[in-house]
Amino acid sequence: MIETGTCTGDSISFDNIWTPTFSDILSNILDWRYDWSMNQAQGSAAYQVLLDTYSKLPNEYILIVQGSMIHSDSGHYDHVAYEQGKLITGIDLVRRIGLKAKYVVAIGSCAAFGGPVAGYPNPTRSTGVQDVLPERRVINVSGCPAHPDWIMGTLLHLALYGEPELEKYGRPKMFYGETIHNRCPRRYYYDQGIFATDIGQKECLYRVGCKGPVTYADCPIRRWNDRLNWPIGCNTPCIGCTEPGYPDLMSPFTVHSPDIPLPGGTKIATDSVALGVLGFTSAAIIGHAAASLYKGRIQRNLLKSTVRGKHRFSLTKVKTFHTYRVKKNAKKE
Amino acid sequence: MKKKNNLRKPFFEELQQGNVEGEIILFQPLWVRIFHWGFALSLTGILLSGLELHKPAKFFAVSYGDMFKIHVISSWFALGFVALRCADAILRRDQSLIPKLRDLKLFPKLLAYYLFLRTAPPPNRKYNGGQSLVYSSWLLLFLIASLLGLSSYWQGEHLIWVWRLVGGFQRLRWIKFMITIYFLATIPLHIYLSMTENLSHLQAMVSGYERKPPPKKS
Ligand code: SF4
Ligand code: SF4
Repeated sequence: MIETGTCTGDSISFDNIWTPTFSDILSNILDWRYDWSMNQAQGSAAYQVLLDTYSKLPNEYILIVQGSMIHSDSGHYDHVAYEQGKLITGIDLVRRIGLKAKYVVAIGSCAAFGGPVAGYPNPTRSTGVQDVLPERRVINVSGCPAHPDWIMGTLLHLALYGEPELEKYGRPKMFYGETIHNRCPRRYYYDQGIFATDIGQKECLYRVGCKGPVTYADCPIRRWNDRLNWPIGCNTPCIGCTEPGYPDLMSPFTVHSPDIPLPGGTKIATDSVALGVLGFTSAAIIGHAAASLYKGRIQRNLLKSTVRGKHRFSLTKVKTFHTYRVKKNAKKE
Repeated sequence: MKKKNNLRKPFFEELQQGNVEGEIILFQPLWVRIFHWGFALSLTGILLSGLELHKPAKFFAVSYGDMFKIHVISSWFALGFVALRCADAILRRDQSLIPKLRDLKLFPKLLAYYLFLRTAPPPNRKYNGGQSLVYSSWLLLFLIASLLGLSSYWQGEHLIWVWRLVGGFQRLRWIKFMITIYFLATIPLHIYLSMTENLSHLQAMVSGYERKPPPKKS
């Protein structure tokens, strides 16, 4: 595993796997080679394990990347190794190791789509792993952090059956195939139109910003912390952590439209923009109508566009089954 | 026995017999009128149900499943009406909705008229520059919103490229909301101007016919 622009949250999440336990995985299930958080060795001795795997087992190992790809200053905002007197950048190492890997798995939303590291205004110009490895498919296991089952499930699928079926953003369908909303236990509240007005209430949290309808993950059935609970289960809205564009497109977490960034670093709420536009139009129409009335334009237009005939028609009902005919002796005016 | 509606023919004969000044012409053919009112109705359904889905009103506990159905059904109807109008435009070779360069050139003059800087609007085709710009933008935005709507309706099963293009469901939702706001801002403008500028055009949207004023004697 290579860690680039990351908070190591996915490693911490992964440590919490139950069952199999993490020690089980390391000792019995996988040949876990290189991982900053778990290495017993350090420095060049540890790094050598990665280089050996790269040169001795080409197309046999799985590269796991945690963290976003940092592009600013040709990647020099993010150094991940020291090799022959040179600092190696995250993007260089991921590209080098990734091109010879059997599979590349990006875990966490940062590695998958850029995540919080790529948040506005993104000074490090961060992206997901797929952007630095355009020539091959990267399997995304997004989430902030990714659920331990999603990580382990994907790795085991790769080891036992090969590549799992992926959905539109390269995520395994078995975990990200359905929206939170479709499996949410509060869905019947939503369907009935019964909404919580504050966080902490037991109804559907849509009105307080739940991103369940736009978020693909299986949290409602898998739940977190050894299946104990999950956000909606403890009355806070889903914040859409598995989706591309998180967190910018999902924030503020308590309303469901994202704020619009303005030059200069401020943001403006979508609903305020809408109200502003509608207010402006209403004011313009009312102002224009008043001015038109004052100037006599409306009166003039109405007179001009309605015309009185030289004589009026008068209609007479000639038969009971609704046939009408113009009176022969229509009065001339 | 087949009874013929005897109203229309003598009525128009009377009209043509010099009872009004100018000529009575067909201004809005039947299919245009059907499209106009059908689209107006279904678009109202889409916009209102869409707003309710976006931000459920506090006073209005309504079944969301039903609201969603209204939204989707109205959208299919609206798409149908748009298809009808496009087919009609192609068959009649009607280009009135396509903005022309001349419309753009005359647009500042039209704006000057609306801002009371001119007393009369510049000469125009069937629709003036502002109208053709707004109507064509409606058509375009409606089609874009429909495409986004369909891709979210199919949940990535079809039209995946649309999701990828816009960058996710949340952004898709946001674009649709902004298009809604554009419609909500321009529809009242359309209603206001159609009621205050030329009532005869408005009635032509019902009857189809309109009086063409006689050429000015110079
Ligand atoms: S709480 Fe969220 S995910 Fe659950 S039904 Fe409501 S909107 Fe959908
Ligand atoms: S409930 Fe939503 S925010 Fe929470 S982990 Fe699942 S996808 Fe992420």
